[in-house]
Amino acid sequence: MLKLLRIVVTLPAILFLIIGLQWAIDPDGAAESLGMPLLEGLALSSQIADTGAFFLGMGLMILTALVTANKAWFYAPALMLAAAALYRITAWILHGAAFAPDMIAIEVIVASLLLIASKLLAAKP
Amino acid sequence: MNAFKRKLLAASVLLVFSYANAAPSNSTRPNIVLILADDLGFSDIASYGSEIQTPSLDALAASGISFTNYHTAASCAPTRAMLLTGVDSHRNGVPNIPESIPPEHQVHENYRGVLSRNAVTIASMLQSAGYHTYMAGKWHLGKARDELPYRRGFSRTITMADTGADNWEQKPYIPIYKKANWFADGEETTLPSDFYSSEFLVDKTIEFIDSNSDSQPFFAYIPFQAVHIPVQAPKEFTEKYIKTYTQGWHVLREQRQKRSKELGIIPADSDMMTMSSTNDWDSLSDEDKRFHAKRMAVYAGMVDAMDRHIGRLIAHLKATGRYDNTIFIFSSDNGSEATGGDKPRSLLSRFGLGLQGYRNDYETLGTKGSFNTIGPSFASAAASPLAYYKFYAGEGGMRVPLIIAGKPISDKPRRSNAFTYVTDITPTILELTSTTAPSEFFGGRRIEPIVGRSLVALSREQVDHVYGDSDTIGYELGGNAALFQGAYKIVKNRGPVGDGQWHLYNIVKDPGETKNLSNDMPEKMATMLEAYKQYAEENNVLEVPANFNGTHQVAINGLRDRFGKHILVFLLASIICFSFYISYRRK
Repeated sequence: MLKLLRIVVTLPAILFLIIGLQWAIDPDGAAESLGMPLLEGLALSSQIADTGAFFLGMGLMILTALVTANKAWFYAPALMLAAAALYRITAWILHGAAFAPDMIAIEVIVASLLLIASKLLAAKP
Repeated sequence: MNAFKRKLLAASVLLVFSYANAAPSNSTRPNIVLILADDLGFSDIASYGSEIQTPSLDALAASGISFTNYHTAASCAPTRAMLLTGVDSHRNGVPNIPESIPPEHQVHENYRGVLSRNAVTIASMLQSAGYHTYMAGKWHLGKARDELPYRRGFSRTITMADTGADNWEQKPYIPIYKKANWFADGEETTLPSDFYSSEFLVDKTIEFIDSNSDSQPFFAYIPFQAVHIPVQAPKEFTEKYIKTYTQGWHVLREQRQKRSKELGIIPADSDMMTMSSTNDWDSLSDEDKRFHAKRMAVYAGMVDAMDRHIGRLIAHLKATGRYDNTIFIFSSDNGSEATGGDKPRSLLSRFGLGLQGYRNDYETLGTKGSFNTIGPSFASAAASPLAYYKFYAGEGGMRVPLIIAGKPISDKPRRSNAFTYVTDITPTILELTSTTAPSEFFGGRRIEPIVGRSLVALSREQVDHVYGDSDTIGYELGGNAALFQGAYKIVKNRGPVGDGQWHLYNIVKDPGETKNLSNDMPEKMATMLEAYKQYAEENNVLEVPANFNGTHQVAINGLRDRFGKHILVFLLASIICFSFYISYRRK
C-alpha cells in the first residue's frame, strides 16, 4: 500500500520536473502545452522564470520529500498546488478567465495526495 | 557650405540619378507569370510527350518557345534559390534542402539551406523597378519571419515554408514537421476548409492581381505543390486515367520515348536505359498491378488538375484584358520523385502512414486523408526517356520542361534544343521587363553576381545558343555532381542507385545517358574533370561525408529539429530522478 502511494506521488513529481525543465529548454512548447502564448521582453522573462521555477520547484520538493521522509517537504508543494487551484477559481470568478475544472481537479487531487503522503510516508518523530 | 545647402545638393543629385535610372513606362513593360510545378518529370505534359491532358500548357507551348535541353538542380530548394536569384546554389545559401544538410556543413554560412541576404531575388529587383510582386505557393527557402518571401521582395504572399504539405488540408506530410507552416503576408495563417492546393493558389493569385487596378505591371510567382508527395487529386481527375496505366511502367516509359521522338524533342536514333530501381511489372499480381495503375492515375489527375487551374488563370487574364501584355514562364523544380517505394501496401508502410493519420487504400487513393506516391518505377517512366530521377544528377533528375510564352514574346510555336540552365530565368525576366540588374550592391549590401544568361534572344530566334562550346556550367547537390560543356556532360551519381563514379555523355545525341564516353574520350573527360574541380573550388563546394545518405540525413535532421529539445528535457529529468533514487537507496 505504502509502495503504491510512493509511486503515485512520484509520477506527478516527474511530470512537474519535466514541465519545469521544458520551460528552460523549450519554452515555446511548454507554453503551448499550458494553453498560453509565449510572451515577449520582460513578460517573457517573468513567464519563463516564474512558471518554470513553480514546476521545477514542486517536482524537486516532492522528490526531496520522498527521499528524506520529512513531512515539511510534502506540505510546501501541497500548499503551492492548493494555491494554484484557488487562484484559478479567483481568475475565473473575478477576472473573466476560462473555467478550468480539469486542471483544478488535478491540482486538488495531487495536493490531497501529498497531504496523505505526509501522514503515511513521513518518518515518525 | 551650410547644412541646408549640402542637403539640397544631395537631394538634387539623387533626383537626377533617379531620373537617369527611371524604368520604362509601365505600358511598355509586360506582366510576368512564373509558374513552377513541383517534381514534374520531363515528359509529364502533353507537348513533351505525355498522355496526360494538359491543354492549358499545350496552348502556352503553341504560342511560345519550348526548351528541350533546360536543366535545374535535382532537388527543390536549390532550384528555387537559383531560379529566383540567378546565383549559383553554393553562393546563394541553398546548396541543398536544409533538411538534408549534414551538421558539419551547417556551420558554413552558405550551407544553411536559407536564401542568403547576399543574393537578391527577382521579386526584389522588380519591386524596385515598380512592379507589383505576388507569390502563392511553396517557398522552402527559410521559415523564420525575416526569411519569408514577404521580406524577400514579394508584396503579397500566401506561402508554405516546408518541403511539402498535404494538398487537401493544413497537415504535415512527414513527421519531421509538427504542422504545415503556411504564412500570409509574413504571418502564420490557417487554410480554408475547402482547400485544394492548385485551386487555392490560383484563387489567391487572381485575388492579388485584382487587388491592384493601377497601371503598374505585375510579377506573379506560382510555385504549385503539384505533383510533390503526397500525390493527391480530386476524384474526377483521377477517374479520367483509371485505365491508362494498366499496362505498367515499362510500356509507359516506351510510349513516352516514342512520342518524344515523334515530337522531335529527342533524336530519333537515341537510346534509353532501364533503371536498376525499376521493378518487373509482369511479376506483379493482378491486385498489385491494379493498385500501382491507380497510383499513377492519381498522379496524372494531379497534373491535369494543375493544368485546369492554370487555364483558369489564363482565362481570367484574358477576361480582364491583361493577357496580351503577359509573359508566362512554366517549368518544374526538378525531375520526377521516386520516394515511396514499390511496396506501399506493406504492413509497415501502412502502419507508418496510420501514425500520421493517413491511409492508402485503393478506393480512396488521392482523396483527402490518403497518402500516395508513384515510387521509383513510375518515376522513371515520368522522366522518360531520361535516366535517373529527382535527387540524382542524371538527366531525369535535372532536365525538365521549360516554356516561355505570351504575345509580347512570340505568337507561334518554337522549340530550342540549346542548353539552358535554371540561373538563366532571372536574367531573362530582367531583360523582358527592361530592368537593370544591380551591379555590386543592392540595399546597401554587397551581393553575389548573377551567373545566368538571358534567354530572350534565344526565345526570339535571334541566336541559336547562349552557351558556347567552351562555356562550362558546374553543379553539385548532396555529393551528386555534374559539369556541362557544349554537347557534353560529366556526371557522378552516388548510391543507392548510382555507382559514385564519373561518367561522360553526349547529352545532345544521347539524352538517355546510355553510352559512357569516358574511355573513348579520355582527354575530354580530363578537361571537364579539371573544370569541375575549378568550379568546386571557386564556389566553396564541400565534400559530403563518406557515408552521407540524403534520405537518412533528412530523418536525422528532422528528428533532431522536432524532438531534440524533448530528448534533452527527458535526459535531464532522468539524471535528476536517478540522483534522487540513488540517495533514496543509500538511505
